[in-house]
Amino acid sequence: MAMDCARRGYNLFLTDMNEDLLDAISVGIRRKYDVDVQSMACDLTDSKAVNDMLSKAQQRGIFFDMLLNVAGIDCEGGFTERTAFEIKTMIGINIEATINLTHEMLDRRCESVQIEQKPIYIVFVSSLASLYPMPLKACYAASKRFLYDFAYALGRELEPQGVYVTTLCPGGLATNEESIEAIAAQGFWGTLTTNAVEKIARRTISKVLRGKRTYIPGIINCTLGMASKLLPRALIAWTIQRRWQKARLQRATVVLSS
Amino acid sequence: MKNTVIVTGATSGIGFAVCEALLGAGYPVIGVGRSLEHCHKAQTAMTKGHPDTKLRFITADLLHQREVLRAAREIERAVSDFGGGIHALINNAGCVRSRYMTTEEGYEQQFALNHLAGFLLTQELLPLIKRDNAAVINTSSTSHKMMQMNWNDLMYQKRYRPLYAYKQTKLCNMLHVYHLRASGVRACGIDPGLVRTEIGNKNTSGIVNAVWNIRMKQGISPEQSAKIYLSLCENGFPGIYYGIGKTGTNKAGAIACELRTNRQINSSNAERLYEVSMKLCGLTNPIKSKKGIENNECTDNRGKWWLRQSNGNGLREARI
Repeated sequence: MAMDCARRGYNLFLTDMNEDLLDAISVGIRRKYDVDVQSMACDLTDSKAVNDMLSKAQQRGIFFDMLLNVAGIDCEGGFTERTAFEIKTMIGINIEATINLTHEMLDRRCESVQIEQKPIYIVFVSSLASLYPMPLKACYAASKRFLYDFAYALGRELEPQGVYVTTLCPGGLATNEESIEAIAAQGFWGTLTTNAVEKIARRTISKVLRGKRTYIPGIINCTLGMASKLLPRALIAWTIQRRWQKARLQRATVVLSS
Repeated sequence: MKNTVIVTGATSGIGFAVCEALLGAGYPVIGVGRSLEHCHKAQTAMTKGHPDTKLRFITADLLHQREVLRAAREIERAVSDFGGGIHALINNAGCVRSRYMTTEEGYEQQFALNHLAGFLLTQELLPLIKRDNAAVINTSSTSHKMMQMNWNDLMYQKRYRPLYAYKQTKLCNMLHVYHLRASGVRACGIDPGLVRTEIGNKNTSGIVNAVWNIRMKQGISPEQSAKIYLSLCENGFPGIYYGIGKTGTNKAGAIACELRTNRQINSSNAERLYEVSMKLCGLTNPIKSKKGIENNECTDNRGKWWLRQSNGNGLREARI
């Protein structure tokens, strides 16, 4: 999405915990699109660090038109198979970090004199998983559900102040080797619900600028999203549990055979 | 003593076979591979077959430009350790992707590895290549024919078409060769033919996997392709593009034959790609960044030399 924003001519301010990767992507975007890219490594779960980062950005004269809350991690496996620390870390990044950053940014916007001049767009990257109760990914799906409902409510609450909120609910995304393996292990349904990263990035930004509240990419995923509202939750949870169990078995077989 | 040949993507497939063929002919070889484990395995296998030859493996994931730069420095050290100079640089590392995936810099992976990695490595080693009058050999493919450069969206970011993206990178390999030849470097592209390697099965899925598995069965062995590389290394080459000849040479043993190329391989496309590639590799556009790769390149003496060269050729001014 950063690439797509740069393609549209936006200057970027990037943040991540990994400073080396931030530097590399900043250099790449700058070379490719000739836009101004600034970056700062930050642990978004630390509200003081977020405050410092935004203060520095303000000192540099940066004002934000759009906030893309993409940072998030998956925590696959049964609840008891993961340590409490792993689960808390995931919730910290998926929820706490997002709240920290969004709140700090909106606070600063209210303080500044620009309040009535420009709308601000906020994007939350949730997941298709947010639409269902999801055994074997219970905490992940619940954390994304939080974002889904929170974003919708926040959008309603702040729309009169010119704050437009969009929630993105993509299916699988093949961004690296592990995700390709995970998608392959899910078989037919995995492939069917997988979205093309480049298309989603482009369309999400377009929809954000049009003020759309929720974006579920792909016809299949939209249908599945609709089904989640019509079918009994017990049936959904049972079906999903079977699917994940099968996928886990498939992945275990692949790992053993390799 | 013969000069050293550098081969990227040397741990499997065509690269591995080329290394073996070169070692058999007595060339010192520097191989570059992505995985440390695979590099060890390849080195052990090759040393067993050719115990008295000079061979060194460098582990570097050429998808990422910082790794290409590191590999270039290590290659320079290894060449100097071996004594003598460079005989040839074989840019062979390549990949196929079925989905849009990016490198650390945000570049599409096929474009980054198949073209930019070879381009940057060549630029880094250019002083040595020119000093030793070494050859640059790019592994291209016949798939570069019937293809045009998609200048509006070089990395197929708007709508990803894996096959088109791959074919374009092979066209880029040939345009790179064209530009090198125009600037006085001995260079050629090779069509290794349809070779039984795992290129179509690494990090791919679905239809790309299935199609490659079917096609692979009709392919020739990497050893047959390696003979073309060896033949060109030993005998030199006046032409720009070589491959296995049509007249039954597939079965009788590969002999390098000069092939016809795409009409898209011309000076304007080559110059344009050179300019874009220089920019994407940070060789002409050292701007604003307070830290990171670019500043290191700017302060580097060789970086300044490139900057002068590119301006001298009438290319876009560096934006500082």
